[in-house]
Amino acid sequence: MTSLIKSYGKGLTGLFVGLTAIWIVLMILVPTLRMVDRAFIYEDRGGEVAMLALEIDRLYTEKFSLEQELLVLDAAETPSTDSVGVPSVGVPSVGAGLPSPSLTPSPSAAPSPPVPSVGVPSVGVPSPGAGGTPRDRTALEGRIATLEGRIATLEAQETDGSEIKGVETSYSLRNFTDMSAIHVEIFLMTLLYALCVTLLCFVVCYPVAYAAASMPTAEKLTLMMVGLVIPYAINELLRIFSWVMILEKQGILNWVFDAVGLIDFEAGEGIRFVASNGAVFTVMVYAYILFMVFPIYNTIDTLDRNQIEAARDLGASTWRIHFRVVIPHAKPGIAVGSIMTFMLSAGSIAVPEIVGRGLHPDWFSQLIYRRFFEADSWYEGSAYSLALLVACVIFILANMAIFKVGIRDIAK
Amino acid sequence: MTTLDTASAPKPGTTPRASVVTAKRETDWSNALLNAYLVIFFAYMFLPLIFMVIAAFNASPTPSVTDWQGFTLRWFQELPYDERFVQGLFNSILIAFGVIAIAIPLGLSGALILTRLQSGASTFLYTVLVSPILMPGIVLGVTTMIFWRDFFNVQAGLFTAMVAQACFIASYCMLLFMARLQRQDRVLEEAALDLGASPVMVFRRITLPFLMPTIVTGSVIAFLQSIENYNTTFFAIGGSYTLVTEIGSRMRFGLSPMINAIGVIFVFITVAGAVTYVLMQRRRDRKAKG
Repeated sequence: MTSLIKSYGKGLTGLFVGLTAIWIVLMILVPTLRMVDRAFIYEDRGGEVAMLALEIDRLYTEKFSLEQELLVLDAAETPSTDSVGVPSVGVPSVGAGLPSPSLTPSPSAAPSPPVPSVGVPSVGVPSPGAGGTPRDRTALEGRIATLEGRIATLEAQETDGSEIKGVETSYSLRNFTDMSAIHVEIFLMTLLYALCVTLLCFVVCYPVAYAAASMPTAEKLTLMMVGLVIPYAINELLRIFSWVMILEKQGILNWVFDAVGLIDFEAGEGIRFVASNGAVFTVMVYAYILFMVFPIYNTIDTLDRNQIEAARDLGASTWRIHFRVVIPHAKPGIAVGSIMTFMLSAGSIAVPEIVGRGLHPDWFSQLIYRRFFEADSWYEGSAYSLALLVACVIFILANMAIFKVGIRDIAK
Repeated sequence: MTTLDTASAPKPGTTPRASVVTAKRETDWSNALLNAYLVIFFAYMFLPLIFMVIAAFNASPTPSVTDWQGFTLRWFQELPYDERFVQGLFNSILIAFGVIAIAIPLGLSGALILTRLQSGASTFLYTVLVSPILMPGIVLGVTTMIFWRDFFNVQAGLFTAMVAQACFIASYCMLLFMARLQRQDRVLEEAALDLGASPVMVFRRITLPFLMPTIVTGSVIAFLQSIENYNTTFFAIGGSYTLVTEIGSRMRFGLSPMINAIGVIFVFITVAGAVTYVLMQRRRDRKAKG
């Protein structure tokens, strides 16, 4: 720090420290801590407020059935009293309009007050000539009125509750322990798939990286690098998109199968590849493979070629050269590549969303998305994303331990 | 013939020369295998992209290579009239410039502090500052979204998307700056200070010019990363959209050749960029030699 002040003075040093502090505090540390905080807050949705909402729903249903009874009563009466068809047509039409606001219990108390004002006259129309059962009618009307009263008070309570008290929250581990078995399974499967993607990417990439590093001429190397950079620089979504075209039901792969005679396109046959986890897997390997090539290439490139020559002269086989000379040297690169590939595939939302389009089993990132934007449960969503983050941190630490590299070697 | 025999079956007593032949053969064989492998690999990398490009010129309303209904440029012509694509592109560029404006100063500050910090705290600081790169993108989007809503009541939108992107792009910039600073010769700065230049002047006249190439490449990388980003943006952007998230949401509802058309434009820009870069590199090499 003193050397920094010595070179740039107090003012500039203060600026640098300030900017870095803003970066760390406002963009990295506090947001992450807030997410961790939220992950351990349990939102009591089965609590008072939720019970209230359930109760209101129930009352609306009851009221609706009572109104239906009333309508039946009216319908039974009207033909006997009035020979004119007008009220018999008119009443049900009013009645049909009535239940619709009560069917959808809206949280605001607004629709409930006008209900009686509409309901009473509609009942009142045929009543002058009614000779049937006025006692039943008044009893029903009375019950509806009391129900409306209760609904109004409960709804008032509900609006108070959600605005002032809020949903009850408390610190607990329940966001994690309440995770359903399916979600846990998806979580583990996602990690397993990500691990497989990483391994496969390494196996596919290693020879390419080695070949790139041992290109005899600069020209060939440039050509190869351009060949690697172009697909790498094209947007992830477009790379995914190009594969969806292949794997679609009317896609290229099915067309090839048709040409070979495996399936009959004309008859509407075709395999829905996109609906399988395998498709997600394949596309992921394609989408993230280049994140493995470049780090490995960078480390192999620094290897002194004489070491390989020496090993060969001393009679080592090709396999042995790779396992004893090249791979040990490339360790940091392999670690970086694995971490990037694993992190990208475990946290990928683009591939499962676009390839599967809801047809294939969920990926964990999609669960997180649903928690936040569909279930509107930010606490559970935070817990889920924390789980993903922890898994990635564990993977990074494991990688560092296996390849015996430090954090400084990793992020280069 | 005799040499061939010994080469194919080297015995303990063979001459050194024979074993060299074996080794050479083995390398030839494995080189051929490696070349074949490379051909397959590049086919795997490029074939899907080629299909995508071809389908962009197909008149068929669903992107297809197999069902050819005639050549058309219709999908390209329709692009400028698609309001959401145009607006999305505008939003993307807006965010990208914001990201550059945030990420370059942050990355530079972090790099300056880290290169001068000698204590044990530096490894910890380094870990914190590179952690956004190692975090899954969606987690970064989530944390930014939560943070800005909870503490400043800012709803997810273009601003949060920009901050979330800037957070990890700043880390990339920092790594670039650190690489450059490690090659810096500090004697110049010290000499200027000894001769009575103010620290601000030293920074402006010596350090910044030295870092200028990295600022340029950093900005380009930040711009590209920002435009490209999907995972982080998808979570942090809320109801707004960028070009890439718009493409993503269209893809979920079905494939359209307009996306292929965008893809062709992306491919074209990328290839053009790569070729210019190589040509520039060549010219520079030639200048350096001659």
